[in-house]
Order: sequence, then structure tokens, then C-alpha cells
Amino acid sequence: MALVEIPIGPQHPALHEPVMLKVRADGEDVIGVEVNTGYNHRGVEKLLEKNSWVRGMYIAGRVCGICNAVHTQTYVQGVENLMGVEPPPRANYIRTIVMELERIHSHMLISAVMAEVIGFTTLFMLIMRDREKAMYLKELVTGNRVHADIHVFGGVKRDLDEVRRSRVLDELRRVEERLKYYRRVFETDYTIVRRLSEVGRIKKSDALKLSVVGPTLRGSGVRSDVRFEDPYAAYPEIPFSVIYRDEGDSWARMMVRLDEALESVNMIRYALERLPQGPAVPKAIPRTARPGEVFSRVEAPRGELFYHIVSAGGTNPYRVKIRTPSFLNVLNTESTYLGHRLADVPVILASYDPCISCMERVLVVDERSGRRVYMSLKELAQVGFG
Amino acid sequence: MRLSLLGEVLKNITRRASTIKYPVARELTVAPGSRGRHYADLTKCTGCSLCAIDCPANAIAMEKLPQPLKHNPRGVFPVVDYGKCVFCYQCVFVCPVKAYVTTEVFEMADYSTDVSRDSSLSTLQSGESP
Amino acid sequence: MSLTLCGRAFKEVAPRRYVATVEASELRRAIEAVVEEEAYISSISAIDMPKEGKIELNYVFWSVKHRAAIVVKVAVDRSDPVVPSISDIIPGAVKGEMEAHDLMGVVFEGNRSLRRGFLASEDVVVRGVYPLKKDSGV
Repeated sequence: MALVEIPIGPQHPALHEPVMLKVRADGEDVIGVEVNTGYNHRGVEKLLEKNSWVRGMYIAGRVCGICNAVHTQTYVQGVENLMGVEPPPRANYIRTIVMELERIHSHMLISAVMAEVIGFTTLFMLIMRDREKAMYLKELVTGNRVHADIHVFGGVKRDLDEVRRSRVLDELRRVEERLKYYRRVFETDYTIVRRLSEVGRIKKSDALKLSVVGPTLRGSGVRSDVRFEDPYAAYPEIPFSVIYRDEGDSWARMMVRLDEALESVNMIRYALERLPQGPAVPKAIPRTARPGEVFSRVEAPRGELFYHIVSAGGTNPYRVKIRTPSFLNVLNTESTYLGHRLADVPVILASYDPCISCMERVLVVDERSGRRVYMSLKELAQVGFG
Repeated sequence: MRLSLLGEVLKNITRRASTIKYPVARELTVAPGSRGRHYADLTKCTGCSLCAIDCPANAIAMEKLPQPLKHNPRGVFPVVDYGKCVFCYQCVFVCPVKAYVTTEVFEMADYSTDVSRDSSLSTLQSGESP
Repeated sequence: MSLTLCGRAFKEVAPRRYVATVEASELRRAIEAVVEEEAYISSISAIDMPKEGKIELNYVFWSVKHRAAIVVKVAVDRSDPVVPSISDIIPGAVKGEMEAHDLMGVVFEGNRSLRRGFLASEDVVVRGVYPLKKDSGV
């Protein structure tokens, strides 16, 4: 058997920064994986130090495209704590609605990507078509289908009027119907179940040691959800159940996500029906914060998002440490690839829900002959399939 | 359940295509109230520069008003560079006199530099003379 | 309210946030005690404090058992930032230590994966600059 080293990347296979997975394979079996990073460290933490609190709101939102509202929420709730302002209940509800809409479209995206990675392009197309419905709802509420930018210190930038509210409630029914269908597909489809189950298993005892978060942690049977354990925004008032499964494999992680998306639909409906009256948009925003530090946590679609904000007073942050969920989920799980087939690598990586947008090129090097073959990750998955 | 998607696929054969033939057939619409191209209404603008200070992308520059049009005491007005703008609408939110005119225009791909100068200046010419 | 782990009191600084400051020599014992409480490591954040001449490391854990964030703070000398690695106690800390080493120059004794260029770009590494230090000029 030829010993093969396969660099997957470095063009952004995973995180908010381009990442390279160096996979060493003995024939088809993976014997080692090393994650290489640093191709595009944008220095957002330094950028936040150099800009004012207010500008930081938008810089934080641009750490990640898919989960921008949760990034802004983490930053804003931390800074609000330091500034001593409290958002009104109505603003909290609107923020929650936006964040849950984001969760729905994020989970639909990774379901679609997973379908594509395993060679199920029809399903990819179908999910992406219906994901647009969720994106439209977000556009309706916030004014942009991707970047919400609705948070502001002490409230939200735009109120949700009655026309929009009933429209969202209306459209939500169609999103829910489609989500239920895709959940059924993922649960029962022979190909998907065979391809995903028993792949990339993380045992419950290892999950905490490896420090994975979010659906990856809950897919391993740990009942940990920031929204439930450490509630923020309007989550203390909205009933929901924490989804978790005991299987711990790629399939369990996907099922957790789809169940969560359905739970999110119910949460949005609950929040919309009980939207408190009162102001949501603040008249003026504070610009200075007291000295101190705050540990801000939010449940992003991919898991626990953590901001450590240190203030020395004044108009600029002293230090902002950002730890995205993908940092833990992708970097700490090198060991889960071991013993699997080469074709399972994309499946396992996708099951951690990395920001996969640019996952494109894979280089296969046959070490004996020195022959180099360029393939996309999708092709690689399909080669392994045949 | 081996062919669980078959029904869905067959149903889609008879459906209208969901691909939008943009820009050949211009049927692409955005949600009402979407954040699009915005410019300052100079009949309201006081030239306070708050929008330029808060802009996270440094897309707003305060420019001197042409002499005959000097409308506010400071004699400056904000010019948004749409090439830099991230459409977060912080400027619209922070403006103390609500001077920004917002639109849903999103088709801004252009060969030349696209700024809000002409749109802003036209608000003065069409309105009452200073 | 406070939480006592391994004879050490963690003060509640905010709802569900417990903080304790330890010496570098006691760090590993403190971390071992925290990990016992069904905790995963959430983050290692390094804060540069040139005025005090130290770098403060915050080991942030989330304890599923206590439903609280447990933070272990340790201050290291800025001119010689060396601290024992905790990566053998909790493997999830390896990458956090690598990040703190790359961006802030903290040396974690016992972590063999430490290297420059893990996150920082080539030009910064060549100049030997730690970008998140306040006087780095980045």
C-alpha cells in the first residue's frame, strides 16, 4: 500500500480563515491528520482594539458571515454590561428572532453541504432552494439577507412592525414544512444513514476532554446549550428543549442540527406571538464603558461563542479575545479521523460544520511515484464512494 | 424508504424553475425595507460629521459644499463611497436630524467609482434654494 | 456566593462566572481540580499589560455540572512569559496554547506543538513580532 499525504486546503476548507488538513493515508485508511492554519489571520482582535466600541459592533459582526448576528450579540451584550445599559424586552425578543432565523439558515446550509459532500447533489439543490426562504425572512426583519446588523447598544436599530410580523409568521409555516421533510430524509434515507453513521464518532467521555462545543457536543450526549444553561437575550422567557443524542457520530450531529432548526421555528413563533409592547429602538447610544472585564457567551449555530472583553475605560476596548466555535470543533478533533477511510474525511469535517464556503481543492500526492493529482474535495468523496 | 427523494424530484419536474434569470429577465426583488443605496438629504443635514466618525468602513468623507450651495453653517456634507460601504446603516441610525434618504437600490456594480455626491447635491437643487 | 474547588475559593464576579487568581506554580493543580467538575476548556485568553509588566492568562472553562464559567487567572512576567502547559490534563487546550504562543509570545512548557506561524502571517513571524502585544507596532 502506498503511503499518501493529502493536503486538503489551504484554500479555506473550514473556518473563518483558510485552513489546511494534512491527511496521511495508508492506502485508503487515514493514519494521521494535522490541521494547519494561519493562511489568512485577519487580526480582528487587534482591529477591535484600534476602533471605538461603536465601530466594533460591525467589526465583530464581520468575523463570520453565516453567524454574524450571534457575533454581534456576544459583543454587544458584553459591552452593554460594561456600559451599564439594558436593552428593553421588545429589543431582546427581536434580537432572539434574528438569531434563531440565523440558526435555521445555518443548519440548512450545513445539511445541504453535507448532502453535496456525500454526492447527493439533488438534495443539496433542494435544501439550498428552500434555505432562501429563511434568508428572505431574515431580510424582511433586518434589511439584509446575510448581515443582520440590527443590534445597537441598548436595543435594536429597527423595530418589527405589524405587517412584517404577520408576514414572517406566515412564511415560517412553509419553512417548517420543508424542514420537517428534510429531517425525514436525513433520518430514513438509506444512503445518508449508511454514509454518516458510525463515522467520526466522539464518545461522551472524550467530548469534554476534546472540548468540542455546540451540536458536536450535544451529538455526543452531553446536554449543554448556552441558551439553556446561561440564558441571554429573551431566552429565559422562551420555552424550548435542548436537543441531544447519544450516538456521537456524524449522523447524530446532523440530526441534532435538523431537530434544533425545527425547535428554532417554534421559538420564533412563540417570540413573534408574544412580542412585548414598548420601545425597541434607543434614542441615543452610549459611547464610553467603565473599566472592567466581561466573559460573554452565546450559543452560535456551531456552538458556544466566547468573547472576553477587557475595558480600561474610555471609548475603545483594551482587549477583545474572540474564540469561535469552529476553532475548537475543527482543531481539536484531529484524532477522530483516525482509522476511517479517506472518503470519510470530508464527511467528518463537514459534520463539524466548518465555514465551508471555499472548500475546493485537494492535492493527492502518491509518495512512491511522486505523481500529483488535483481533485476537488467532492470528487475525492465520490472516488471513495465507487 | 430507499428512494425517499424520488417523489420530490418528480414533483419538481413539472414545477416552474426556481432559478432567476438575472439580469436577462429582471425579476429579482428584495424584501421591502432592504438596506440599499442611501444618501444625505442636504436640506436636513447639519454637517455634524457623526456619521463619518462612526462609519466602521471609513466609507464616509466629509466634503466641502460648493460655494453657491453653502447650506449649513459648517459648509460640509457627507459623501458615501459605495465601493467601501458595508451597508450597516449606522450612519442612518446615528444621524441626529434623520437626514439620510434610504432606498432599496442594490444594483451598484459599476466600472467607475460610485459615490453619493450627486444624489446628495440634487436634493439641494430640487428643493428650495439656499 | 463562591465556589470552593481543591481548597481554593472562586469568587462569583457576575452571574454564573467564577474567577480565581493563582500562582503559576499552582496552575496545574487548580486546572486539574476544575477539569474534575465536568468542564471543557472554552478559551485561553492572554492579555498584555505593559504597565504592570505582566501578561495575564485567563483559562476559561465551562462546567456542565455547575452550569457556570470557571476562570483561572495567572499572571506571568512580561519579559519571560513561561507557564507550565496544561495540554496533558485537557487535550482541548493544545490549540489555545498554540494561539497564545503565536500571538502573544507566551511559552507553555511541555506543549510540543508550539510554533510561530500557527495563525500569524509570514511577515509578522519573520520580524519576530508578537502582534497582540501592545507595543508590537502592528
